[in-house]
Amino acid sequence: MPRSPSPRVRLYLGTEKGTYVATTDSRRRRWDIHGPFQAGTPVYHVVPDPRSPGDVYALANSGFWGPILYRSRNHGAGWSEIATPGLERQGRRPPPKTWGEVPPGAIRNLWHLEPGSANEPKTLFLGADPHRLYRSDDGGASWQENRGIAEHPTRLRWTPGGGGACLHTILLDPERPHRMFVGLSAAGTFRSDDGGGSWTPMNRGVAVDFLPERRPEVGQCVHHLALDPADSRIVYRQDHNGIYLSEDAMEHWTRVGRSLPTDFGFVVATHPALPGGAIFAPLTPPPQRTMPARRLQLYWFDRKKRAFRPMIHRSPWIGEYGNHREGLTVDGLDPVGIYFGTTGGQVIYSPDSGRTWSELPFRFPKIHSLSASPPPSRP
Amino acid sequence: MATVRLDGMLREFVSARSIEVEAPDVSRLLDGIEAAYPRVRYRLRDETGALRPFVLIFVNGEDVSLVPRLTTPLQARDKVDILHSIQGG
Repeated sequence: MPRSPSPRVRLYLGTEKGTYVATTDSRRRRWDIHGPFQAGTPVYHVVPDPRSPGDVYALANSGFWGPILYRSRNHGAGWSEIATPGLERQGRRPPPKTWGEVPPGAIRNLWHLEPGSANEPKTLFLGADPHRLYRSDDGGASWQENRGIAEHPTRLRWTPGGGGACLHTILLDPERPHRMFVGLSAAGTFRSDDGGGSWTPMNRGVAVDFLPERRPEVGQCVHHLALDPADSRIVYRQDHNGIYLSEDAMEHWTRVGRSLPTDFGFVVATHPALPGGAIFAPLTPPPQRTMPARRLQLYWFDRKKRAFRPMIHRSPWIGEYGNHREGLTVDGLDPVGIYFGTTGGQVIYSPDSGRTWSELPFRFPKIHSLSASPPPSRP
Repeated sequence: MATVRLDGMLREFVSARSIEVEAPDVSRLLDGIEAAYPRVRYRLRDETGALRPFVLIFVNGEDVSLVPRLTTPLQARDKVDILHSIQGG
C-alpha cells in the first residue's frame, strides 16, 4: 500500500512481464511498488494522460492473444481493456482461405500512445507495427487509421527495424497546432504541417550503413526523437546511425555525436527546466547494444557547445545490459526527476536534476518504458 | 454438436473446461465460440482471420491448424481441442 494516500510522483513502467506503478513523495527517496498488472504480458508503453489526471494507458502485446490496449481511470490501480485500433470495427470476418490469401495487414504490436493537445481533450494518437498511425477523437472508443502514412508514396521502401516495423515516436508541435512529427523504423522521420493529412520525409543529412544508398530520402532507422522545450524547431534525434540535431524542424540534420566513444543508442529526453540540450544514453553498437565499458552512463548534450558531458560521477552500476527507446523519462517536479530503465530491470534515477543518482529498490522484469506523473508541463 | 475442450490459457476468457458448439466446420466453430464468449474475439484469430501464433486446433486428434484446413467439416460428436503451444524453451 502507498505510504501516503496521495503520492507526489508516480512512475509507470511497461515491462516484459506487465505494468508496474512505483509511487513516492516529493523527496523521491522511498518508493512503493504496485503490480504487476497485465501480469506476464509484454507491455511496450505505459503513459499517463496529463489532460485527465488519473487516466493511464497501457499498450500490451501478448504473444498468445495479440495486441490489447488497456486504460486505468485511477492512476494505475485498476485496468480495463478498451478498443484496440483495427480490431473494434470488424464485423463478421470472411472465412480464412489459404496462407497466400490471408491479408498481410494484422497489427503485430502496439508501440506508442500520445495524448493529443490540451484543446482536444479526447484525442489520442497511437503508433503500431506494421508502420501504422491511428487517431481517436473519442478517448479511445474508436480509432481511425491515418491514410497519409498508410498510403505514403515511399512506403514500399520502408523496412522493419530490429524491433519490427514500428511507428514508435509521435511528437505534437506545441507552437504550431497543425504540425506533427513521427518516427518509424526503418523508414525515418516524417513531418506533417496539416494535422496529419500529408507527410514529408525529413531525413536529409542522416546517413545509413545498411542500404546501398548512403543518404536516401527514406529508410533511416530512427530510434527516438525529442523536441527542445524552448523552441520546437530544434529536434534531437537518436538514430541507429548516430546522434543528430536539427535546428530547422527536421529540414536538415547534423550528426553531433561523433565525439562520443559510440553514438549508437535508443533514448533521448528533454525537459523545460533543463534548457539548452538533451539527455542521451549511448550503447555499444549492434550486436551488443549494451552499456559501453559495462558501466551505466548518461550524457548531457549541450547544444550551443555541441559537446557532451557524463551525468553520473563514478557510476557504480556495472553490468551487461542495455535499454529500450521509451526507457528514459523525466518528471514535472522541481528539482527535476530523471529516470532510466534498463533491460536488466533496474531503474536508475536522479531526484535532483542529475546532481545525485540512486537505484529504485526493486529489480523489475526487462523494462520497455518509463513515464512519470506529473509529467513536465507542455510549453 | 461438437465438444470443444479448451486449454488452461483460455480460462481467462471462458470459465468452462469444455463447451458444446454447433457448427458445420472449424472456422464457423470459432465464429460460434467468439459469439458466445465475446472476449475470445481477436484472441484466437487476428483481425484478418488468421490464427494467432501458438494456437493449435485438433479435430478428433488431428491437427487442423493450418489455414486451409480450418474449413474441415465437423460432425456431431466430434471432439475439438484448442491448445496453445508454449513459447520459449
